[in-house]
Amino acid sequence: SQSVAVGEHAIFSSSDTSCACIESVLGKADYNHNKVNQWTAAIVEQSLTHLVKLGKTYKYIVTCAVMQKSGAGLHTASSCFWDTTTDGTCTVRWENRTMNCIVNVFAVAIIL
Amino acid sequence: MKGKRTQSNYEALGTAPMEECFSNSMKTKLLSFRASRAKIRYANTYRLESHNKFRDYLVRDKAQAILTNKLQQAKYDGVSSPSLCASISEEILKAVKELDFDRYKYVVSVLIVEKAGQAINVASRCVWDVQRDTWISAKCETETFIALALVMACYYE
Repeated sequence: SQSVAVGEHAIFSSSDTSCACIESVLGKADYNHNKVNQWTAAIVEQSLTHLVKLGKTYKYIVTCAVMQKSGAGLHTASSCFWDTTTDGTCTVRWENRTMNCIVNVFAVAIIL
Repeated sequence: MKGKRTQSNYEALGTAPMEECFSNSMKTKLLSFRASRAKIRYANTYRLESHNKFRDYLVRDKAQAILTNKLQQAKYDGVSSPSLCASISEEILKAVKELDFDRYKYVVSVLIVEKAGQAINVASRCVWDVQRDTWISAKCETETFIALALVMACYYE
């Protein structure tokens, strides 16, 4: 699975935690317009809690986009201005029968 | 003996002593020799805040302007949109860097969604310093697609 190599000493894999979070929230559910708000909030919150539990000195930014499947195209791009030796990013794509989900995790180091 | 002290060494608790002035060539040799193992030690500036603070209204206007400029005339196209997306995010990053805010790292994220009657929900949460870090978002909508740009600024020292 994807892992984010951040800094010389720290390597953490955030993609498994994000994948697990998405599975637990969306799982086999079908797209439901009423529930999608709480789903995205839950995915982001759970990812963030897991990341914070890792106990590393990082600031985290987690973005989640959930889109109904309809044949439409979705493109995301991100560019970052940071210290490439200490900061990193990770993207997880997940889908089921009725929806697509993209989760971006950005980790910015805190120098103590 | 009277006289001015030309050099003084400050020993304060928990601070690293100042680095001496090496000549340029020696410095590069030392740095490359130490490779990535050693941490470069900086002198304390005793500055807790940024000199030139991040002003979000400036960045929001810039990002909005870039989006509308690039996208007003564009039609969603499966082939060209990925590169358009990437180029927009790089342009926004360049513009924000030009504004030259002190001590900030930036993350720019751009989303382009084709309009096809479907719904999309975007959420984000951050663990950061609430007093110093901030984010802005800019949106551009046309007939065939919607573009969303997020700029996050994190303070560092």
